[in-house]
Amino acid sequence: MPRIHYLVITALLLHTGLAQADIAMVTNADNGIDQLSQSDALNIFMGRYRKLPNGALALPIDLVPLKARFYHALVNKDLAEINSYWARLVFSGQGSPPQQADSAAEVINLVVHNPSALSYVDAARVTPEMRVVLVLHE
Amino acid sequence: MDRLLTLFRTRLALRTATIILLIVGLLGMGFLFLAVQMRASSEQRVQYTRLEELLSTVERTTQIACFLGDRQLAGEVADGLLSNRIVSEVRIVQNSGEVLADSRSSSDSQEAKSIMRAVHSPFEANAQLCQITLVPDQQRIDAIVSEASRFLAMVLLLQLAGLGLCVVVVVVRFVTRPITGIAHRLSELEVETGHKLQAPRGNHHDEIGQLVASVNAMIDHLMTSLSEERRLRLEREIEERRYRTIFDNVEAGIFELDSEGRVIVANSAFRRLFQLEDTFDPHQQAVVLSELASEGGPTFEELAARDSEAGRARQWEMALGSGVLKRWVNILLSRLEEGRLQGVAHDITERKLATDAAERLALTDPLTGLGNRLGLERRLAVIARHHRLHPECHHAFVVLDFDHFKSINDTYGHQAGDTVLEHVAGLLSGLITQRDYLARLGGDEFVIVLDRQERREQVATLLTHFVELLDDPIMIDDTVQIRMGASIGVALLGVDTDDVQEAMHFADQAMYRAKRAGRNTWRFHGESLTSRC
Repeated sequence: MPRIHYLVITALLLHTGLAQADIAMVTNADNGIDQLSQSDALNIFMGRYRKLPNGALALPIDLVPLKARFYHALVNKDLAEINSYWARLVFSGQGSPPQQADSAAEVINLVVHNPSALSYVDAARVTPEMRVVLVLHE
Repeated sequence: MDRLLTLFRTRLALRTATIILLIVGLLGMGFLFLAVQMRASSEQRVQYTRLEELLSTVERTTQIACFLGDRQLAGEVADGLLSNRIVSEVRIVQNSGEVLADSRSSSDSQEAKSIMRAVHSPFEANAQLCQITLVPDQQRIDAIVSEASRFLAMVLLLQLAGLGLCVVVVVVRFVTRPITGIAHRLSELEVETGHKLQAPRGNHHDEIGQLVASVNAMIDHLMTSLSEERRLRLEREIEERRYRTIFDNVEAGIFELDSEGRVIVANSAFRRLFQLEDTFDPHQQAVVLSELASEGGPTFEELAARDSEAGRARQWEMALGSGVLKRWVNILLSRLEEGRLQGVAHDITERKLATDAAERLALTDPLTGLGNRLGLERRLAVIARHHRLHPECHHAFVVLDFDHFKSINDTYGHQAGDTVLEHVAGLLSGLITQRDYLARLGGDEFVIVLDRQERREQVATLLTHFVELLDDPIMIDDTVQIRMGASIGVALLGVDTDDVQEAMHFADQAMYRAKRAGRNTWRFHGESLTSRC
């Protein structure tokens, strides 16, 4: 049975990968932000801005399995480049990369419980507790 | 300095090398200037390219620093750039005007052309975030440029020096040394022996070989002319000796005159002939030829006459001394060169005397010692010439014919006739002067030419005197006495006629008239007047 479960997940994953589903940037539904420009998203995820457009603190969260696709869609760069970017900044002690979440569930959990959280999930996995502020098409 | 100049004058290699070096140096200076100029601008370009490259190297980091507005990172970038010595200042300014970094090196540098570059966002290619300005250290760049130029100059200088050395070596090896060798050998060469010059090894076919060949040809030529000269000199010596022998021993006097007629060379025969001392030296005492002569000889004008071409001889006869010691010399002069005459003198006294005697004999009547017909004709020719030149002078021609002379011969014999003729000749000779001429034409016919006799009265006086003398009887021997009578005719040249022969003819006619008039008298031609001379 668990074997079948895994197969299903794998198939689903493969399916989504193949389907190239859109990535939805999501935040806590209560933080009052309806919309986010791609530029704002970029500035926040690349460490330039620490606040959301409404002045509230921003807490960007990377979803590790979706990270490569996300950054590709956001800044058209692969992970190695993104890592090298952060490596420089870490070295100078100026800022740090977004918090890392290993699963969509963790992301959902964080977003639901933290009004500052800003992250992304597969568009298919969006739940009503989160608000989609930006959809990145691949 | 003087030594250097001397060396410069005497060393071909040095001179050549100096001149070549001078030219190469000047050219090198020009090239160096150009090269340095080009090198400087290229170096400048290189430095700016380097700066651009530096900026490219730090671009990403700068982009990130600008993206994040990170002063620390910007400062790192600026410091990193400043660690390069050609950078003097780095400024990173955000678009908002906020200065992220502004660092400059400690050394104060002059203002230079700065490099500015816009810095874009690392994620959005067309979003300019800030500007980075890089000011190069011009002093440093200049130092680099000048160092490069110095290196270039050094290399060129070394090349020049090397070139000069090579030129000196080559000139010495290939030009100077062979020439010196030739000069040395030439100075030791004995031309008389006919030795030839050897071309230096390896120079047989080049210009030095040609020089040697030319010198050898000259030596050949010299040898030929030298031996020819020697032969000619020998010949000349023989000739001279021969001439000297002749000159000294010949009987004829040989001498030379200058344009003034002074004797400049004389042989011993000449000295003897002209009675000069044996020690006579023409260079010590001046002797003029014409002054040696007592009579005749060339005058100064004749000597100086230019019409006498060289080689054509002219002759004179001149007398030396007087009286019994009088000698006659024939001289023959020919022109040797301008202002120099050569002469030969012969003693012709004997010949002259012999000729004179023969001439006298030919013109003399042997019986009376008076002139004969030939003598008279000579005299008449002289008178005619004189009369042509001086027509105002008169001459009297007197023709005498003795009466009945033939009967004396017949009666007393020829001996008695001759005695009578001699007597009459003596009488006549006593009456006339030295200038007059008396001739017996043959038989008993006598002619007197009275020189410059202008008046009949004078002639008449003379004739009167003669007739008186003739009136005395002539003693043939102790027993025989003869009284002579003469018929005389007179004509005056210049009065009766101007023609000599006609005057003679007139005198003859007058004599016949006197004979017809009864003998022992005289008649003048015509009734002429007196005239003066």
